[in-house]
Amino acid sequence: MATAVKSYPRAGDQPAPRPNIASANVQLPAVRDYEQVDNEITSTLHPTVAWFGGLAVAVVCMLIGASAWTYQIYWGLGQAGYAPPVMWGVYIITFVFWVGIGHAGTLISAILYLFRAGFRTTIYRAAEAMTVFAVMTAGLFPIIHIGRPWKFFWLIPYPNWRLIWPQFKSPLVWDVFAISTYLTISTTFLYIGLIPDIAVLRDRETNPIRKRIFSVLSLGWRNSDREWRHFARAYLFLAAFSTPLVLSVHSVVSFDFAMAVTPGWHTTIFPPYFVAGAIFSGFAMVWTIIIPLRRWWGLKHYVTLNHLDASAKMVLFTSLVVGSAYLSEFFIAWYSGIRAEQEYFWNRIFGQWWWAGWSLLICNMVFPLSLFSQRLRRNTTWLFILSIIINIGMWMERFTIVVPSLSHEFEPWQWTHYQPSWVDMSFLVGSFGWFFMWFLLFIKQLPVIAIAEVKEIVPPKLRTAHPHADHIDSSGRHADYEPDTPGEFA
Amino acid sequence: MRGVLGVFQHLDAAVDAIEDLKQQKFRDITVYTPTPRHELEHALHAPHSPVRRYTLVGAVLGCTFGYWIAIWASDYWPLVVGGKAIASWVPYTIFGFEVMVLVGALSTVAGLFISARVPRLTTVVGYDGRFSHGDYGVFVETVPEQVQSAEQLLRRHGAVEVRGER
Repeated sequence: MATAVKSYPRAGDQPAPRPNIASANVQLPAVRDYEQVDNEITSTLHPTVAWFGGLAVAVVCMLIGASAWTYQIYWGLGQAGYAPPVMWGVYIITFVFWVGIGHAGTLISAILYLFRAGFRTTIYRAAEAMTVFAVMTAGLFPIIHIGRPWKFFWLIPYPNWRLIWPQFKSPLVWDVFAISTYLTISTTFLYIGLIPDIAVLRDRETNPIRKRIFSVLSLGWRNSDREWRHFARAYLFLAAFSTPLVLSVHSVVSFDFAMAVTPGWHTTIFPPYFVAGAIFSGFAMVWTIIIPLRRWWGLKHYVTLNHLDASAKMVLFTSLVVGSAYLSEFFIAWYSGIRAEQEYFWNRIFGQWWWAGWSLLICNMVFPLSLFSQRLRRNTTWLFILSIIINIGMWMERFTIVVPSLSHEFEPWQWTHYQPSWVDMSFLVGSFGWFFMWFLLFIKQLPVIAIAEVKEIVPPKLRTAHPHADHIDSSGRHADYEPDTPGEFA
Repeated sequence: MRGVLGVFQHLDAAVDAIEDLKQQKFRDITVYTPTPRHELEHALHAPHSPVRRYTLVGAVLGCTFGYWIAIWASDYWPLVVGGKAIASWVPYTIFGFEVMVLVGALSTVAGLFISARVPRLTTVVGYDGRFSHGDYGVFVETVPEQVQSAEQLLRRHGAVEVRGER
């Protein structure tokens, strides 16, 4: 008779480590030395046929949008599908959508940097670039929306012969300051972080023209201790500035709505609700970008499952925050006793806009609950599919905020419908083309994974154990507390 | 600027060389490293970066300007609505904040450029392309009489290449 053999843990056996603990102590066990980092990351810069194909698709989409803009400038803003009083439509929806996409970049590069979240190291460059291009895209839409784009500079306060100034109490002027500051600081943050990596490219480049270009772009960076010391301090302060900035920008965008006495808009929950939604959608777009890239480039040992797992927890958290905000809106509308509010939310779920209301709830609240499963958090195919679902859901969320409120205000005789025109949808397609065109151009010119920061978490070559044994042990491995971000250097 | 450059492949060898150079009273030491390292920072005993001062000054000026432009423009072109205050500090805090961040961050970058002495358009004595790749460089400025002792010290600590630079 066979006897079942039961194994007991032996003395001294350690429990198996959990597969993912998001902490500052992120290691890349498959990355052995600095040479490997340089070789593998710079090898991503060679254009491929697939890249040219993707760029061609993006340019075609961008041209569709450009053609629509030309058409609209010639025929006027009436070509957009506005139906009074619904005078905000796809342009404002897409503006808010892209501003939201831009938020995850700064969250990953600045806020997670300050919190020493190590999983940011290999994805933050892609997220930062995404931020810059998303805000560039978003910034176009208010200009498109004003109908006479050549007069957009009237929003900027500058001395002029008409002796008139913008209305500083208007949320639209707040937007101008917030978005332009955000674009400037995001671009600065991206560029400053790129300088040491451009120096790497400069020193490896053999083509004299490209070498000269990289020399200029790297500003003569030479990796001296003086440069690193000031760089680390400046980077820390830029992160410290960017952190409240990222929270303020989408708050200001939410004020565009919350300042109006319109059902569904006039609520104090909007700023945190918008910020959480922005981070949620931005992370989804990071997945949409980074999951294919890590596969095509063979960089799964840089952007590991642990990194994606940790970011999935962030998405799950922000999904729960956004879901709470949705439910709070319904509750407050019911509890307020204001009939216009109650009718608006009823209309959003059971009336005219039921399809939009339910699609956002399902995409943004129900599907992300799957991330409670660790197996799904570590399934890249599911994460990619989920990222598309979330992107769609977050665009629908902005649609549900903008259109149903305007189409169902206080006066029943004003109630109407809204149907985007082909011009509207061409702009939407064009915005994706514009965004991906810049991103695809970026990833073949500059490293999309930060070389210098990755080197910080790769053990350096050591000859012997030296007196600083509290940092490095005799086998050349970092001690656990070794930070993986340059801010500690200063 | 005249001195000796030692190229190291091992971090601990470079750290030992720096500590020994410090003990031998070599003052002007520049270290090239592909990524910032605490060990090098500790060995060099470098002073704190002054970038923070640029940040503070820029932030204060930016915040002041943000409030000022909103208040001044409202006062210059008053739009009186319902008897409300012409200069309303609550919405104008948005301008104070945004311009504080904008000018503070840009002055931080200016502080970085001034302190780190970039942009630099000329090749610098002592730099080698290997230092952005994986090797460490220790450049020590010396008078001609001390060149030999500096070279010996760097070689003793394991420099794979030592050369005079001027």
